[in-house]
Amino acid sequence: MTAMTGQERMRNILARKPVDRIGLYEHFWADTLSRWTREGHLTPGMSLEDHFGFDLQMMWAFNTAARHDMAPEIIEETEETVLTRDGNGAVLRRHKQHDTTPEHVDFLVKDRAGWEEHIKPFLTADRARINFDGYRSARREAAEKNRFFVWAGSGVFELMPPVCGHEHMLVGMATDPDWVKDMVNTYARLTIDLMEILFSEEGLPDGLWFYEDMGFKNRPFMSPAMYREMIQPGHFATMRYAKSKGLPVIVHSCGYVAPLVPGLIEAGMDCLQVIEVKAGMDLLQLYRDFGDRLSFMGGLDVRVLYNNDKSAIDRELTEKIPIVKGNYGYALHSDHSIPDQVSYESYRYFVERGLELGTYS
Amino acid sequence: MSDMEIVDRIAMCVERGKVDKNAPYPPDMKGLDGVKELTAQALAGGMDPNIVLTCGLMAGMSVVGKKFSKNEVFVPDLLMAAKAMNAGMEQLKPAFDSGAAKHKGTFIIGTVQGDLHDIGKNLVRMMLEGAGWKVIDLGVDTPPEKFLAELEKNPGAVVGLSALLTTTMVNMDKTVKLIREKVPATIVCVGGAPLTQEFCDKIGADAYAPDPQGIIEYLDEKICNN
Repeated sequence: MTAMTGQERMRNILARKPVDRIGLYEHFWADTLSRWTREGHLTPGMSLEDHFGFDLQMMWAFNTAARHDMAPEIIEETEETVLTRDGNGAVLRRHKQHDTTPEHVDFLVKDRAGWEEHIKPFLTADRARINFDGYRSARREAAEKNRFFVWAGSGVFELMPPVCGHEHMLVGMATDPDWVKDMVNTYARLTIDLMEILFSEEGLPDGLWFYEDMGFKNRPFMSPAMYREMIQPGHFATMRYAKSKGLPVIVHSCGYVAPLVPGLIEAGMDCLQVIEVKAGMDLLQLYRDFGDRLSFMGGLDVRVLYNNDKSAIDRELTEKIPIVKGNYGYALHSDHSIPDQVSYESYRYFVERGLELGTYS
Repeated sequence: MSDMEIVDRIAMCVERGKVDKNAPYPPDMKGLDGVKELTAQALAGGMDPNIVLTCGLMAGMSVVGKKFSKNEVFVPDLLMAAKAMNAGMEQLKPAFDSGAAKHKGTFIIGTVQGDLHDIGKNLVRMMLEGAGWKVIDLGVDTPPEKFLAELEKNPGAVVGLSALLTTTMVNMDKTVKLIREKVPATIVCVGGAPLTQEFCDKIGADAYAPDPQGIIEYLDEKICNN
């Protein structure tokens, strides 16, 4: 088969149709990019898509905070951390020196009453929530480079913890499921309304990518029954919208979410990303169970890259790639993000060997 | 109700997450007494607080913990059970203050330096409290020196270290080294998404478990049964 463009390749991979090779994409911790830049492998501001030859390019275009026009207010700042209150009224602590997700210190919203007073009335499809320029520019660049262009953003589940925190949300799933359903439906509606504005004015992307961290070690946050009752209706709404526009859907989830996969497929998921091995996810088992109707991106244990041992990297790739490329529905990606313990040379080897194994004769 | 019926009822209410009479959850127990009322009744009736604690509250949490390990219940259920347990522990506070009720021991827990995640740590804290441990929660982003300072204030305490990220689990090594240097006999437990038994062994920690129940069972075996 002649060489395909990234756009052609990813389009086929998401539909499990023949391709020249498996796809390629990756996420990196900021500290990793800083290290590789210090070492001279990268230059500040350079395109990682260009440098590594990624098949895909994404753009986060929406601001979904209740007070989207509010800059985070600094409450306290030390040499190492900064404590802020954001547009959802959430108090978050972030590290200044290195890259990590923020500590959830407090939330204005702890229950349905807080949601109805402080958040829901403000979640209107205001044009000011949309980064039109960024979307237009990224879409144009992806088209010029023949990359598969995805709109990326938080899904209906991932939009709730920034408002009320995981514990209040999960308690709400038990004590007040109608509240959680209302949040899910409201965010689904907001997402679709904003997409409608953006896509009608700027054109469609090639696909949608929803970030939905629904699991942790060895278990999802909720039971499959709770997923179907409270979250899946929002997934049906947003993914049906995608399908009405002819767009395939990639869903990212950290953690162990295998029990939720059948429900996600029912809702319209075409590809599961990131398949976190250390949380218990098993790419080969998922391929055996769902490979005829689901594509995959990730599932390669990033811990084998830590020691920068090429033979360990080789083992991980050799055990998985020849199998999961079977249905043409696979894109090379680590099982989370590349941390700064990984040398540039090791990552390069991971890509080169992975694509070598993933090339179809 | 007999004493046994009351403690069985307390255990069942903990398992189902029935906090008190006014709590609407679970819907099929609306209007019934919850852990708060039943614990108060048991103590007012002269029942030994340790029996209420072990046969009622802890028994209920133990059932939930085991079901959680087997993916028969999920985090929302666990959180509600912990809330119900806490309602009972509030009633038992005077008994703990007077020494009539006793904890199994003290457990110092925190997320290691550089890591701001707390969900996993909080679940372990709740489960340990439910298993009868006094838990001192140092929060997130905890430097090794802070664990040591708390350990020196609580001799014989067990230390639990949590990390969610591959980038921060290396800081567990520093904490374990400091504790081994200053208070070598301390039992150190580790947990978190990126951890493995191999990593636990490598850094010289005593125990790793993939879920809270595993740590509870390890401590029961190691400390409470000796």
